[in-house]
Amino acid sequence: MVQQHFIIKNAQGFHMRPATNFATAMAAHPCSVTIRFNGKEVNGKSPMLIMAACIKVGSEIDVVCDGVGENEALAAAAGMIENGFGE
Amino acid sequence: MRITDLLKKEGIRIGASPADKAEAIEQLVALHETCGNLLDAAAYREGILAREAMGTTAIGMEIAIPHAKSEAVKAPALTAMTVPSGVDYGSPDGMPAKLLFMIAATPDGDVHMEVLARMMQLLMDMDLTEKLKNAKTPEEFLALIDAKETEKFPEEVKAAPTPRNEGYRVLAVTACPTGIAHTYMAAEALAKAGERLGIPIKIETNGSGGVKNKLTDEEIANCDGIIIAADKSVDTARFDGKPVWSTKVADGIHKPEELINKIVNGEAPVFKADKKAEASAEVGNESFGRKLYKHLMNGVSHMLPFVVAGGIFIAIAFLIDAAKGVPMDGNFGSVTPVAAWFKAMGGYAFNFMLPILAGFIAMSIADRPGLLVGVVGGFLAANGATFADPFAAATTPSGFLGALLAGFLAGWLLKLFEKLCEKLPRAIEGLKPVLIYPLAGLGMVAVMMCAVNPVMSIINKGLSDGLLWLNQHNLGVLLGCILGAMMSIDMGGPLNKAAYVFGTGMLAAATTEGYMVMGSVMIGGMVPPLAIALSTIFFKNRWTAEERKNGVVNIVMGLSFITEGAIPYAAAYPLKVIPSCAIGAAVAGGLSWLFNCTLMAPHGGIFVVPTIGKPLLYLLALVIGSVVGMLMLAILKRPIKDGNK
Repeated sequence: MVQQHFIIKNAQGFHMRPATNFATAMAAHPCSVTIRFNGKEVNGKSPMLIMAACIKVGSEIDVVCDGVGENEALAAAAGMIENGFGE
Repeated sequence: MRITDLLKKEGIRIGASPADKAEAIEQLVALHETCGNLLDAAAYREGILAREAMGTTAIGMEIAIPHAKSEAVKAPALTAMTVPSGVDYGSPDGMPAKLLFMIAATPDGDVHMEVLARMMQLLMDMDLTEKLKNAKTPEEFLALIDAKETEKFPEEVKAAPTPRNEGYRVLAVTACPTGIAHTYMAAEALAKAGERLGIPIKIETNGSGGVKNKLTDEEIANCDGIIIAADKSVDTARFDGKPVWSTKVADGIHKPEELINKIVNGEAPVFKADKKAEASAEVGNESFGRKLYKHLMNGVSHMLPFVVAGGIFIAIAFLIDAAKGVPMDGNFGSVTPVAAWFKAMGGYAFNFMLPILAGFIAMSIADRPGLLVGVVGGFLAANGATFADPFAAATTPSGFLGALLAGFLAGWLLKLFEKLCEKLPRAIEGLKPVLIYPLAGLGMVAVMMCAVNPVMSIINKGLSDGLLWLNQHNLGVLLGCILGAMMSIDMGGPLNKAAYVFGTGMLAAATTEGYMVMGSVMIGGMVPPLAIALSTIFFKNRWTAEERKNGVVNIVMGLSFITEGAIPYAAAYPLKVIPSCAIGAAVAGGLSWLFNCTLMAPHGGIFVVPTIGKPLLYLLALVIGSVVGMLMLAILKRPIKDGNK
């Protein structure tokens, strides 16, 4: 299991497009992807659950990947989040 | 932020069948436009399309949520659409969209994210999305969302009604002497102001029907402070240790927000009621004049029922005798047995008039110990005992004025005496209210009234003689005019009450002039609402739609001699309404006197007209006065531009 701490940078937070893109990207990895936010655990492969978590700019989250290809998955997640989802 | 705050039923389209995604978007944008959510529909549509160009907003499960943050949005809002046959929206799971929500968000703020998150939390529930897709009407659609939202976020629902039931920040008590109009107008104004300011407020009304919506001890303990908007004494001992802002009832009507802010900003002084005796008088921020008025009104309001019931009984007695055609001599009104019974019973009620008046004035000043001194003082004023003539065989009563004096002087003397008694040993504390205060009080008031009676009876006689003189020199009309005008100038305020109290006082004198005074007084109080009502009927262009609608009510108010009905109009346009009403009332009062109309009942309006001497001429005077008032209004008040302002 690997995990990493992030602060959401893009002004809009995890709105629909980042959530959809993030979940789609994560779904390509066989490991489980969990976002820990505000004391809750959210399935990182579900755009709806990510959006429902209401993760705004400045929010602190942990991305936890566990299973086959967990390092690749976390690297991909880090790339997207730190890049501000390209926004 | 609740979904149901953003989505209106006009923004929901059930059973749509757009041919493609573009048409679906078109229809959802049109719904936003219908609801008035957009400043610029074209710009907003461009925003939506630009977003779709970056990737579909379909999220699978037959749901699509097109959205745009745009300057073209007036306020955050939602529209929704169900498409039973589905529309291709390029969904990642390849399913057509059957449930569509379109978010319109303003560029600033987090509303967009919050709405999105909230919608996702709701739409994760497959059961709900199925039901939404199958909803038959926009109302059902909204109800489903509302129910789900309430279930998922119960704390919001609980939070909303809570301030209304408990946890009032500001409490208020409203009261006026008559307890018919001002009390409730002030309560309503305060409630509305509280709503506007977003401050939960509870208002207790001490009206003629008793105390309504009573403040509980718990509420008092938990509130920020209490507003007292009252022109008579209210029970204040319960507010001990709380910030209390005390003022006149008119302030409750005219500047409710200011009063609420006084409490909220902590400007109200903390109220101390450590001694019950000082409960009603120690409300700090009141002028001496206001206190006087409040004490007086406490007496008058308690006296009124005696005057009204007794007076009408006596009027019935006269009516019966008049119907029997008995001679109008000194026994008139008690000749036929039935009339005699009514007259006697009414007379008994009348006998309490002065004791009650003085008693409650003194009680307002000195709390419970004041009752005895006031009641006895009032009684002595009525029977006219003196040192030389303690059994009042010769009767030199100081009457109404003496009773007023008795109430005030006895009240203050007793209060002073209570202060002196503070130095007495604690051991006899318990004796004070049961023995010392009553004994000393009775002694004080007895001595005082025996001294005052001879003096006051001279003044009273002078007043009656003055009236007689006015009458003999054909100047009684002037008195009628003055009384009529006084009744209508402040509509329930001090001038009105002064004239009214004078009228009922003259009634007790049981002379023709006295009855004529009462006739002028009552007609003066009936004119203002009637003049306004007539104006709203015949000069429609002077009034707003709402004012015209309420005009009809004023007919009833006027005919029932409830002058207060004119207050909303007088408050709105004082410089136009008050002079008009005063002139109309003066004309009516003068005419009533001129026609020698005698009124033996102190209240009752149109219902006691049959008991009036020369009832038809009285009605004529009323009509003329009201028409004059109406015409004055038409002259003074220009037509308003928009009848529906």
